[in-house]
Amino acid sequence: MTGDLPAQPPPPACECEGPGVSRRGFLGGAAGIAALGLVTGTGTLGSTQLAFAEQGHAGDVLVVVSLRGGFDGLSAVVPFGDPHWAGQRPNIGVPESQLHQVDSRFGLHPALAPLVPLWDAGQLAIVHAVGQQDPTMSHFEAMEEMERAAPGSSMRTGWIDRMAGVAGVGTPFAATSVGPATAPSSMSGTYPVTAMQSLASFSLAGASPDDVASWHTALRKLQHGAPAVVSAPARTTLAALNTAQSLSTVDYAPANGASYPKDDVGGSLSNVAQLIKAKVGLRVAAVDCGNWDMHVGLGSPTSGWMHDNLTGLGQALTAFAADLGTAMSNVVVVTLSEFGRRVMENDSGGLDHGHGNAVLVMGGGVKGGSVYGRWPGLADADLVLGNLAGTTDYRSILAELLETRCGLRATHVFPGLSSHRLGLTKPRT
Amino acid sequence: MPLTRRRLGALTGATVLAGSAPTVLDSAWAAPAISSKKTPRYGGIAHLLRRTTYGATPALVHEVHKRGAEAWLEDQLHPHRVRDTEMDHLLKRWPSLERNTWQTRKHLSIGAWDTMFDLIDAHIAQAIWSKRQLFEIMVDFWSNHLNVTCPSSDVWDSRHVFDREVIRKHALGSFSEMLCATGRSPAMLNYLGNAQSTGKAPNENWGRELLELHTVGLGAKYSQKDVHNSALILSGLSVEPDSGAFLWAPWMHYVGHVKVLGFSSPNRSAAKGEAVAMDYLRYLAHHPDTARHLATKLATLFVSDTPPHALVTRLAATHRHHGTQIVPVLRELFASKEFAHAHGKKVRTPYEDFIATARVLRIRPPAHGTEGIRDLQWMTGSVGQPPMGWHAPNGYPDTAAAWSSTSATLGRWNAHISLAAQWWPTKLRYTKLATLVPKPLPKTYGHLIDGLVAALNVPALNVTQRAALTHFVGHKPSDRLVATDEAVGWRLPYLVALILDSSRQAER
Repeated sequence: MTGDLPAQPPPPACECEGPGVSRRGFLGGAAGIAALGLVTGTGTLGSTQLAFAEQGHAGDVLVVVSLRGGFDGLSAVVPFGDPHWAGQRPNIGVPESQLHQVDSRFGLHPALAPLVPLWDAGQLAIVHAVGQQDPTMSHFEAMEEMERAAPGSSMRTGWIDRMAGVAGVGTPFAATSVGPATAPSSMSGTYPVTAMQSLASFSLAGASPDDVASWHTALRKLQHGAPAVVSAPARTTLAALNTAQSLSTVDYAPANGASYPKDDVGGSLSNVAQLIKAKVGLRVAAVDCGNWDMHVGLGSPTSGWMHDNLTGLGQALTAFAADLGTAMSNVVVVTLSEFGRRVMENDSGGLDHGHGNAVLVMGGGVKGGSVYGRWPGLADADLVLGNLAGTTDYRSILAELLETRCGLRATHVFPGLSSHRLGLTKPRT
Repeated sequence: MPLTRRRLGALTGATVLAGSAPTVLDSAWAAPAISSKKTPRYGGIAHLLRRTTYGATPALVHEVHKRGAEAWLEDQLHPHRVRDTEMDHLLKRWPSLERNTWQTRKHLSIGAWDTMFDLIDAHIAQAIWSKRQLFEIMVDFWSNHLNVTCPSSDVWDSRHVFDREVIRKHALGSFSEMLCATGRSPAMLNYLGNAQSTGKAPNENWGRELLELHTVGLGAKYSQKDVHNSALILSGLSVEPDSGAFLWAPWMHYVGHVKVLGFSSPNRSAAKGEAVAMDYLRYLAHHPDTARHLATKLATLFVSDTPPHALVTRLAATHRHHGTQIVPVLRELFASKEFAHAHGKKVRTPYEDFIATARVLRIRPPAHGTEGIRDLQWMTGSVGQPPMGWHAPNGYPDTAAAWSSTSATLGRWNAHISLAAQWWPTKLRYTKLATLVPKPLPKTYGHLIDGLVAALNVPALNVTQRAALTHFVGHKPSDRLVATDEAVGWRLPYLVALILDSSRQAER
């Protein structure tokens, strides 16, 4: 052995593989990189699209929208039909008359009206009373546990990382987060994910359109003679930059008259739609839609914090579906939040941390127009510390999407999860 | 081509043409096994400095040459011997870090993250500017080994005390004492849920991580029964709710026989339970599997992603022979032939790369305040590795494969240009880039590159890399350089950034 870096570095010193799971079987750290090197090595910078063509992934693109801060599923999907609902929220509750009733039990917040056509078209489903196995009311813990998605095990990786590993070697865009500077914990692990604040910002600082080509040339040649573990990521990055640049230099015009709201989630979903249309090998995307921690001053059904946030979310999801049009038959979107909020309003016109929550699932392969999940009820005895109980483990929703829509086995992604599924999706045709 | 097989032809010029810059191109940069019959001590000074500092400037290389590598290293292993007056003064800008938990509670509203951000600022500042470089590397190492995610809400008032009383106090001391200190540290006890654990309802979180991460490691032969007993032994190590101070709570302690691996105790009284817990921690610290686990991690940090088996075995023996003292293990590691031959076997993590960039660009702390340093902290987030910020108890990974994503690579490149062009942060004192250009002005573009590479203390580039840089400014290496050229004018920051982007600079 010369001074070269090893071709096959060992696993990180403390990586936990969990009971009976060998991640290495799916994607050895360096093997994955080497393969990426091969993939991009075959394409010149000019033929990035070719190099990044889909590789053997015949499933839906999964888009995970994280509603950070504790989304109040009871404001979004109001259980007006529950006999114990009345009186819980005298100041901030949505009156039954203002709801868009989706069945005899539930109604959508008026700000979510843009989603009604998707609901009617059967592209949108709701799961209510969704929770985590070991509920906690700490944002940090609840988020970490939700994204690790392996309660009761000491697994260190995030579920999207494990999902990407199961899906196998892909392009640099296979697992992409759009929005925050760093990838979420759900993507943490051995799979090389791409985190971008936006497509436009995924670029070389300092390189102007005139001289970006000379930057690329220099950066490529500067890897000359370097071991693959250093040079392959650099080459992959250059190719990915090229792709992002080709997508972001043109003004993006969403299709079908779709209009994204000018906020974070709108911008992120518009970027995700662009990546999907460009067929750069996207398999799973993570975007953030934050600011749901409404302890104080949640507002009224027609204005204020909750109204504005739901309006943004509804518009962004609607625009995304419209923009993708028929391509939505190969895309599935799911919203997740670390916990729901207290059933009864507090004295500050807000809601404290709770548990059971509503999850939206949208896509061409969704058996929409129905509210899924067992409703635990709102009688005092049915609540857990004043919170809606969680009757559906959020992982069972994700597992179903993986199995039915993404063509992946969920066993290694969600170890120990029961085989119970809601049946809210159609098999791929 | 292996990193160590340098092109001698491309290098010789650098030494000569570095001009007035200190002579950095000594035997150390040559691949010892190839270019000389005898491997220099520590594989050469440049190699030693790349591994034991966050990035060496030519001035530091010069200093170590004068002082002698062995004497310098001994000082680094005994950081109190290293005078660090400027850093001592700088640290006074974070008075919050000197507070205890109850004082922190008095100063801040409940749950405020201010002190945790201050701690990260100070961690970064010390990595860049402390003269006790090896100590800072070890602080970062132990912060990951015993990770208590910072910031995280349950340690808002105690994370800095953990840093001071557990990590920094013992980073080059005794591992056994450091481990015992974690057992009395509210940050660790809260972070891993032991503070609420009772004999009746044990929380196994810390009991498990202690075995899996902190001591014997995942491969050791412990069972779920051991994990359960581990939690029982530790029950009672808790936190006083009002003050946030450590609390021995005998009423929470499990009483009765306990056994984990080769440790057992009748554990007959709650009153003596704390002593049993401390005996247990000491037992684990000395365990052969712990020795091997730590030896593997240290050899991974300093030698290679695939640490040589024989070295690990020797280091583990030293750990035990010296009663878990850390310094003898490090001394043996650096003196080993495996270390001397480890050129090019490690890649910098994004954080290390970022700190090295600030160091080789000779960026200095702001004249007043800490705002510029806080901005550096945000930038470590942009490169994907804010220190102490790993979200799980196992700490950041330390292998090249773990940092191979496109965003990590792009983050590095963009940080280089931002710091080289002095765009951001604005509130730092920068060294004029022109001072990196050799005087008198090099005769050719190739020589300019050599001079810059030497001034930045980047390992020598090969001919292809060198030509790539001159071509970037529109010239062949042999073209004559004129003083008015944009390469030494407005394009100099770009050139410097690209040198920092080269694969050689990524080497640890």
